[in-house]
Order: sequence, then structure tokens, then C-alpha cells
Amino acid sequence: MLILLPQAIVDGILLGGIYLTVAMGFSLAYGVLHVIDFAVGEWIMLGAFVGLTFTNWFHLDPLLSLPVVFVIFAAVGWMLQPLLQRVLSGSRGRPVLMALVFTFGLALAFRGSALTVFGIFTHSLNTALSQGSWHVNWGSFFLTIPLIRLAGLVYALAVIVVLNYLLKKTDFGLAVRAVAQHKEAAGLMGVDIKRTSAAVYGLYVGISAMTGVFIGAIVSLNASMGPDLSLFAFFVVVLAGMGYLSGVPWASFLLGLIQSFFLIYLNPSYVLLALFTILYGILLISPTGMFRKGV
Amino acid sequence: MRGLPAWLWILLVIAGVGLVPVVMTDAFFLRLFTEALMWIGLAITWDLMAGYVGYLNFGHGVSFGVGAYATALLIVNAGWPFEPAAALGGVAAGLVALISGWPTLRLRGAYFAIGTWALNRAVMQLALVLDITGGADGMRLPAFLRPQFFSWVMLGVVGATFLVLWLLLEQAPFGLKLKAIREDESGSLAIGLNPAKLKLQAYVLSAVPAGIIGGVYAYWITFIDPASTLGDLVTDQAVVMAIFGGLGTLIGPVIGALLLFAFKTYFWAYLSDYQVLYLIILGLAIAATVFFLPDGFWGTVTRRREGRRALQKGMALAHFPEK
Repeated sequence: MLILLPQAIVDGILLGGIYLTVAMGFSLAYGVLHVIDFAVGEWIMLGAFVGLTFTNWFHLDPLLSLPVVFVIFAAVGWMLQPLLQRVLSGSRGRPVLMALVFTFGLALAFRGSALTVFGIFTHSLNTALSQGSWHVNWGSFFLTIPLIRLAGLVYALAVIVVLNYLLKKTDFGLAVRAVAQHKEAAGLMGVDIKRTSAAVYGLYVGISAMTGVFIGAIVSLNASMGPDLSLFAFFVVVLAGMGYLSGVPWASFLLGLIQSFFLIYLNPSYVLLALFTILYGILLISPTGMFRKGV
Repeated sequence: MRGLPAWLWILLVIAGVGLVPVVMTDAFFLRLFTEALMWIGLAITWDLMAGYVGYLNFGHGVSFGVGAYATALLIVNAGWPFEPAAALGGVAAGLVALISGWPTLRLRGAYFAIGTWALNRAVMQLALVLDITGGADGMRLPAFLRPQFFSWVMLGVVGATFLVLWLLLEQAPFGLKLKAIREDESGSLAIGLNPAKLKLQAYVLSAVPAGIIGGVYAYWITFIDPASTLGDLVTDQAVVMAIFGGLGTLIGPVIGALLLFAFKTYFWAYLSDYQVLYLIILGLAIAATVFFLPDGFWGTVTRRREGRRALQKGMALAHFPEK
């Protein structure tokens, strides 16, 4: 059993890298817009299907669809955000919960649309990297690293570097941080709140959709995978602490490790049961995350 | 007729509805009748937590499913008769709510919604992997083919639930206390209420009827599996019905349930080739309701009526519904 240990750890870290990108975008959207997006898993699923459609139409490598997927979904998110803003603001009671119900409705509609258009079957995205893998032999230990999973990690790191640059070095990032800190004050200082909020939501939706392409290539895609992915995203975000970006990487890798250890050492059919139970447990013990820095 | 007390009106309406299965004995109609009642029951019990206490319970299906499975296990494995088994299904759902509610209700806002959803998914996974529940294959119950019997049982359960909730929420101070928690939980603590205890009472109160309804459903449909009893769709539909009808009232979810169920029936009758379209419409219905009618159907209608009446009488808007 010990022989599989390095494999379990590496698998977990590679898998965790994928969740990292989604949770980053989600945390950003929550920090700036104060919206809990129940449709996060559906964005991932739709992104994967757009990648699949792109591949089937143009017969190109799915990974080449990433820019297309990003542009499409960023535009959708950009256009959708004003609606969300209207639900969040105004004279209604409990705006945050109403926004949550709103995205919950969107999630149902997206899932239904995907089931209608793409059917109930499970597909997979075949990229040039799907077949290749690295083998490492080290005494009695051995390690297999599929190239596509490695590409996923590289993608995740690239997203984080770009996000970091955007948020810390550009005027746009300054505006985003200002809006996250205090909306009214940011508006008084000349920040265009509407555009900034729409851009943040677009960014988050675009990143989640691109991640969908990777999840489709690494695991598989089907139209009803959304809710589980949403709960994975919640898992990471809650564990990290809602709105606390620095906690996200640790929480993502932990989620990946839990998944890979359950798959390798315990019964695979208990993975989801374990994850949801752990998520529930975390919420009970420390709803502000493992660093207690969430809101 | 205005002299009659409101509780008598409710009893009369329930009795009047109870006459329907006597006249209409068509099996298909009775099936729809029973199912409509079932959704009314699930919608009003969901609204108890969401509309009165202000907690979005995305795990309402847990109560329904636990009730259904407990009843099925008692009937199939222990050979119990139906009535005590269904009652114990309610007790089981109440116990699960009591045990899970104590920690879960410490969560607020979106955390509560996520937590209850995770709990629902975990319970569903548990039902899928356990041997005793039959896993994904589900459980079969002995068939008892008396459609009229089930329509009356369902009416009895849902009618009693409505009456109890009406007495507790609209007549007794309990409802006002819950609304105080909804408006300001810390404030309710400050005026001497015990929110933790009240929330737990409301949570159990919403779980027990849902559990009994689940038990009746199991014996009525004679087949249950994790997807049909613990799946997201159970909670989702109750959520749409309650929100569409109007949160924070008892009559709103009833109207919402009837409208949505009528729509669902027509939809399945005429467009059954496009079943997944139902999900799209359900989702868009929630989103559009939140967007355009945040008070729900009933809230929008009654507010307009109140406004008109107030204008006619030349007095301020009435804040309390007249008895």
C-alpha cells in the first residue's frame, strides 16, 4: 500500500490544482459582488460542452478552444451581472439570499438546457496530451504523471499569476480591490462600480468555463455533473474561508488529496459521501474556514 | 358568513376538498389529486423555515427521504402495518432534524443553505451505498391499490399540517417570535427570545410533516430510490412553489404548489418528449420570480388589494391581515 503513496499525493496535488482556479474566481466574485453563485458547477459544465462542440466542429485540439471558451463565457457573465446586481440591490428583503435563489434558478435552467442540447451521455475530451504520461521509477516506488493533469496544474498556476498581476499591478485591479473594500467610497473616488463588477463576474465565469475544458479532458463531462462540482467549489471556498483568497490554494490541494486518497486507499463509491460529510463538518466546526479568516 | 371563526373555515375547506375523491373516482385524477396535496405539504413546510424563520433549507428532501425510507424499511423488513410505519417515518425525520439541526442551525445565511445542501447530498450518497436501502436499485413495497384511501390519507396529513402551522404561526405568538428571528436574530435575542431553541423547534416542526408525507408517498408509489426521494428535485420543486407563491404566508405556497403542479401536469401530458425542458422552465421560473416578483404571486396580489382597499377607506395600509 505504501508503494502507492507518492502516486496518491501527486494525483491529489494535480487534481487540486484544477479546483484552485474555480475557487479563485468564486472567491473573487464573492469578495467583490457578495454573491454566492450556486451555478458555479454549471458554468464549468457548460464550458466543457462548448469546448467539446468546438472540437467536434473544427477538429482541433480541445485545449485550443480555451481562448474561445473564455471570451464567450466572459461575455455571458458580463451581460448577466447587471441582472444579478438588480436582485442584490433595491428595496427587497434579504438580498443575499434572494441572489442565491436567483443563481440557483439559473443553475437549474442551465442544467436543463445542457441536458436538452447535449443529451444525458458522458463524453470525454481527447487532447494530444491525453495519451502521454511520464513514468518515474525510484527504487520500489513508481509514479505516473499524465501530461494532461500536468497541463491542468500549469494552467492553474498561469491563471493565478495573471490574476495576481491584474489585481495587484493594474488600475483595474486597484478598482476591484476598492470596490471589494467599500463600494460607496469607491464610487465616490471615481471608480465605475457597474463596469468593475461586471468585469469581475465575467472574469470569474470565463475562468470557470476554461477549467471545465480541463475537467472534461482529465475526468469526463456530462450534463448533470454541475451540482457535484458546485459542492466541490463550496468545499474549497468554505474551507479556505469565504472571501479569503490566500487560503484557497491550501484548501484546493487538500480537496484533491482527500479525493485521491479515498480513490486509492478506500472505496471509490464513498468519495462523494466523504467529501459532503467533511464539508458539512467543516461548516459546523469552523464556518469561517480553517484559517478563520473568512467572513 | 363572516361570523364563522377562521379555523372553522379551514376545516370546512379541508372537508370540502375531502369530498372530491368521492365524486371523482378516476384513478388518474386521484393520482394527480394526491400528488398535488403532497407538494402543498412540502411547500408549506419549506416555507416555515424560509418564509418565517428566514433560513433557506436546501436539504428539505432529507426529511422527505428519511421518512420514506424509514416507512419502507419498517413495512418491508419489520412487517409493520402502514399507519404506525408512516407515523414513525415522521418521528425518524424529526429525530434527524433534531440531531442535525442543533449544529446546522448555528450557520447563518448562505452557509446554512450550503450546509443543508451538503447534508442532503451526503444522505443521498449514504442511501446509494448502504445495503439495507438497496442502493441505487431502491426498495419495493407491497402494493396497496386503493387510490381513494391514499388521497384521504394525504389530505389528512397535509390538512392537519396546514391547520397546526396556521394555529402556531398565524394565531399563537410562536409565529411572531419566528418572524422576529427573521428580521433580526441578535435583536430577538436582546428582547429575551431564545433563537437557538425557536429555530430548532421550527426546524423539527417542518421536518416531521415532510417525513410523514414521505412515508405516505413510499407506500402509495410502492417504489422508492435515492434519486426520487432524496434527489435535488424534491427540494427544488418545493422551493419554486413556495417562492413563486410568496414566502412568509401559508396560503402563498399552497397557491404556488397548485399552479406549478398544474403546469407540470400539463407539461408532462403534452410535452413529455421534452422532459428536460421542465428543468429549464423550473429554473427560469425561480429566477424570474426573484427578479420580478420578490414577494411572490400571493404577496404581489394581496399588496395591491390592500392598497386599493386602503385608498377606498381612506386609511393607512393595513399591516395585519384581518381575521
